[in-house]
Amino acid sequence: MGRLDPVTLSVLASALAGIAEEMGAVLIRGSYSSNIKERRDCSTALFDSNGRMVAQAEHIPVHLGAMPEAVAAIMDRDPEPGDVFAINDPYSGGTHLPDITLVSPVAYEGEIVGYAVTRAHHSDVGGMRPGSMPSDSREIYQEGLIIPPVRLVRSDEYVDDVLDLLLANVRTPDLRRGDLRAQIAANNIAEERVGELIQRRGKDTILAAFEEVISYAEKRTREAIRDLPDGEHCAEDCMEGDGITDEDITIRATVTVEGDSMKIDFSGTSDAAGGNINCPLPVTRSASYFALRVLLPKDVLANAGTYAPLSIEAPRGSLVNAAYPSAVVAGNVETSNRIADTVLAALAGFAPDTIPAQGQGTMNNTVIGGQGWTYYETIGGGQGASQSGPGPSGVHVGMSNTLNTPIEAFEMEYPMRVERYELLYGSGGDGEHQGGDGIVRAVRVLEPASLSLLTDRRRHGPRGVDGGEPGRVGRNLLGSEELGPKVSREMEEGDVVTVETPGGGGYGHADERP
Amino acid sequence: MNAFEASEVEAGAVVALAHGMTVATNALLERRGASTALVTTVGFRDVLEISRQNRPALYDLAQDRPPALVPRELRFTVEERMGPDGELIPLDETSLEAAVTAVEEADVEAVAVCLLFAFAHPEHERRVGEALREALPNVYVSLSSEVLPEFREYERFSTTTADAYLAPKLAAYLEKLAERMDEVGSPPPLIMQSSGGVTSVDDAVSDAAGCVLSGPAGGVVGAAYVGSLGGYPDLLTFDMGGTSTDVAPILAGEAQTTTETVVAGVPIKLPMVDVHTVSAGGGSIAWADAGGALRVGPHSAGAEPGPAAYDMGGSEPAVTDANLFLGYLADGTELGGEVVLRRGLSEKALAALGEKLGLTAEDVALGTVRVANAEMTRALRIVSVERGLDPREFALLAFGGAGGMHACALAEELGMQTVLVPRAGGVLSALGLAISDIRRDYVSPYLSPLGDVDAEEFERRFARMESTSDGELTDPEHTRRADLRYGGQSFELTVEADPFEKLEHRFHQAHERRYGYRMEDEAVELVNLRLISTVPVEKPGLTEPEAGDTAEAGEREANFDGEWMEVPVLDREKMGEGSEVEGPAIVEFRESTCVVRPGWRGVVDGVGTLVLEKDDG
Repeated sequence: MGRLDPVTLSVLASALAGIAEEMGAVLIRGSYSSNIKERRDCSTALFDSNGRMVAQAEHIPVHLGAMPEAVAAIMDRDPEPGDVFAINDPYSGGTHLPDITLVSPVAYEGEIVGYAVTRAHHSDVGGMRPGSMPSDSREIYQEGLIIPPVRLVRSDEYVDDVLDLLLANVRTPDLRRGDLRAQIAANNIAEERVGELIQRRGKDTILAAFEEVISYAEKRTREAIRDLPDGEHCAEDCMEGDGITDEDITIRATVTVEGDSMKIDFSGTSDAAGGNINCPLPVTRSASYFALRVLLPKDVLANAGTYAPLSIEAPRGSLVNAAYPSAVVAGNVETSNRIADTVLAALAGFAPDTIPAQGQGTMNNTVIGGQGWTYYETIGGGQGASQSGPGPSGVHVGMSNTLNTPIEAFEMEYPMRVERYELLYGSGGDGEHQGGDGIVRAVRVLEPASLSLLTDRRRHGPRGVDGGEPGRVGRNLLGSEELGPKVSREMEEGDVVTVETPGGGGYGHADERP
Repeated sequence: MNAFEASEVEAGAVVALAHGMTVATNALLERRGASTALVTTVGFRDVLEISRQNRPALYDLAQDRPPALVPRELRFTVEERMGPDGELIPLDETSLEAAVTAVEEADVEAVAVCLLFAFAHPEHERRVGEALREALPNVYVSLSSEVLPEFREYERFSTTTADAYLAPKLAAYLEKLAERMDEVGSPPPLIMQSSGGVTSVDDAVSDAAGCVLSGPAGGVVGAAYVGSLGGYPDLLTFDMGGTSTDVAPILAGEAQTTTETVVAGVPIKLPMVDVHTVSAGGGSIAWADAGGALRVGPHSAGAEPGPAAYDMGGSEPAVTDANLFLGYLADGTELGGEVVLRRGLSEKALAALGEKLGLTAEDVALGTVRVANAEMTRALRIVSVERGLDPREFALLAFGGAGGMHACALAEELGMQTVLVPRAGGVLSALGLAISDIRRDYVSPYLSPLGDVDAEEFERRFARMESTSDGELTDPEHTRRADLRYGGQSFELTVEADPFEKLEHRFHQAHERRYGYRMEDEAVELVNLRLISTVPVEKPGLTEPEAGDTAEAGEREANFDGEWMEVPVLDREKMGEGSEVEGPAIVEFRESTCVVRPGWRGVVDGVGTLVLEKDDG
């Protein structure tokens, strides 16, 4: 142990996690767009003054792992107390353009002691299609307004010029304004609460707690890695097309364990694609962190220390370390799942039976937009079965964990109707334990609209494990016409889009079922 | 029944009898409710199972949500569809007949009818209910439009299903109770609801989902009453027991209600006393995690084997062991006549854990209390700062077996100046039952921009609810509330609805208090009108005898912040109005112990509450 005794450490870790969670509650409740208020597509965290994550609220994995780059980008711009920075540029600390991140210095008596970070998926940031999730973008400029790290607030006052520019480039400016305001309120709560903690405990103790919470998590991760056998395991998987071509695109991960550290090398992964399934490096890191975190004991905190023992090598210009100005919008929401799947598959080589069969491996991103409105939804599917039991049905399995939009909220807000939303019984892979079932969601538009689908696992079902069968593949339909995994189309009044999501893989041979 | 015998009270002499229970909570926790079917809109069979589509544990991929109350094979559909503006597809009678037959063949005890948009357009749902009731007179039927006429299908379906799932069990239990009360000549029992009011047996059964927090509600209402009598209307209540701890905010003497309660994985969106429960208590076990940090809970020693001190086979130290080792509890204390606390065993368990952590038994004991207190502090912050309430403006009212031992330390942590320990800590729930008003809640959806609401229509809708209520209760008092939000937000805040003109202003205020900001330039939207109807009951006063000569029962060694000191031990039974105590000291109540930390002094007030104040400085 370091400067704090084991008791104070536990006490303060609890208080810091409480701050991150309260930020999340403030953001969700104060926000305006369905995607944040109903679906909770947002994440919050507290960083130290060196830009290391201290505590997070457990929301959306892909958001959380990719936050440090955003904080680093802001720290390079001489932040002052009272500032709030906005950023969404994937090539300078963002993930994909719809995720707008606000970073505020957390100051105590004029000194910056940390950073409050909120990242929220805004349902439109401009670009070539409503919803800013086009299936067919080829460079990032088509995906929406690019926000490099800029001050949105200075000395506690909006920088109106920046806000005006931002709002002028999005389709639903009122919602954006409300959501940004909620993010700022959440960041402000963090500063208030950290200030209260410092007043009660003293600044030195709190700063020491930041330090120790991080080194403690690192220690726990190193112990878990040390328990794995040294060696190397490799796994390969693929993405089903990039929205331009329909060919499989390879992802390859080699995991090496040596003592108490781990390396993931993505050599052998395809080059960056012409379409938009590319990942900036922070997204690849995020997915790798997620896979590692799944392997760790449940009570290990997730912060900068948790991931310190992990190094990542991703060939520059490849699918998993894309270079400017590659299009990236689906990297964050689709490829990230496959990276996690691939790394988990490699990790299973070290720790068989701890990793479940594959889950649906896609978020089934559905974006529909018309005159003055945009709707974004991700749809759950089957989780893989595991040694401990069948896979859950109709859930988010990987890098997302958003809620659904209630049908009754949806139909009051949009000129659309949900025709069907239920489980596809039997779509989970067979096995000693069955994979979870996928979902079918069918939506009819009541006026002309533009549709984008960013989905995967439409050709290759999620794999089973130990003899379990794969889950059933998903399907996308416009009326009765079967669509590809990544597609943009115009819809006429009355058209119905149906998304069937994949089932999870099974565990063990079906004939062993009791 | 046994209570009558034990207390030698003649049942016939009882003028009113109120009852709180955990039957409904336990049925949900253990998934032992009635076998229940669901009838829902075609195409939406699995709303209950999909829930909100999120997984319960972000990084534990194998963990599933608690199972839905209605399994797949008992979910049936009818062809029909309502939309926001009314009927889209008429109710198909053939499919209705098929659904009724299917329910009949399934041989269930209850059925929940949950159709989309029934909160606004209940016609189809009523027709389905009618057909089911006609064909299956012995099956309990719940309609979502009756149980919870609010939008958001999952939460409404979930609440309605819970209602159907619980009603038959509750009916059997309560009817038996009423029968036995009748046999002995007692008046019919009144039942505590989750909202903190009481109601008749019949009404409790027809509002089964509203009885889920019947147990804890009584304690909170009782605590609110005792606090008010002593002149402390603003409280945080702290009820720490063996395996769990309940905390709740009390404002102006009133228990607060919320509609966001989730019990055993089942959202129940009915007004319930705003009580937050954490699974930590005196039985929570201290342990060393793999990284060498001291942790407390969530595992509990329970009653068996219990803390190490019980000598019933438990070898891991619990919070109770720490309290015993530190001298807060007396070595040799008898619990309920059978268990005797043995400090030596606590010390052994604490020392064994200390070896793993490189700490002495004393350090482990002090640490265990601090870590447990951190969890309690977090719970108290959730019901105060996260509700926009500043704990420094509140008194902490402690009860339950372990409440008094931790209260002063928690108050210090939260900057609170006053701790209240009522004499009747063990029977606050019973007191709560005795003083609870008869209560009924009504809700009427009214989705409209506030600017478009016609004051007369507003008045008319309330008047309609009030006249319904007047027909159901005897001379009720009405409180009007309204759920509001900024146009486009999806979380509502409930504020006083009278007078109409002040509604908007109250909402801005409430929003600022809860979320830290207001938006005067945004349109405010009305969502629901709520009516709370109460029939007041006569409330007993509380008295306290005068202080006797001395209450000092001895001295013992106790440890405060690492320092051992000889402290006086007072017997609460020998104290009376005006008795004083100065910390450090220990006050032993009949069923619990209060630790008065250094820097605190207290006096027993006229209603029997030990009022502890922190010295400034």
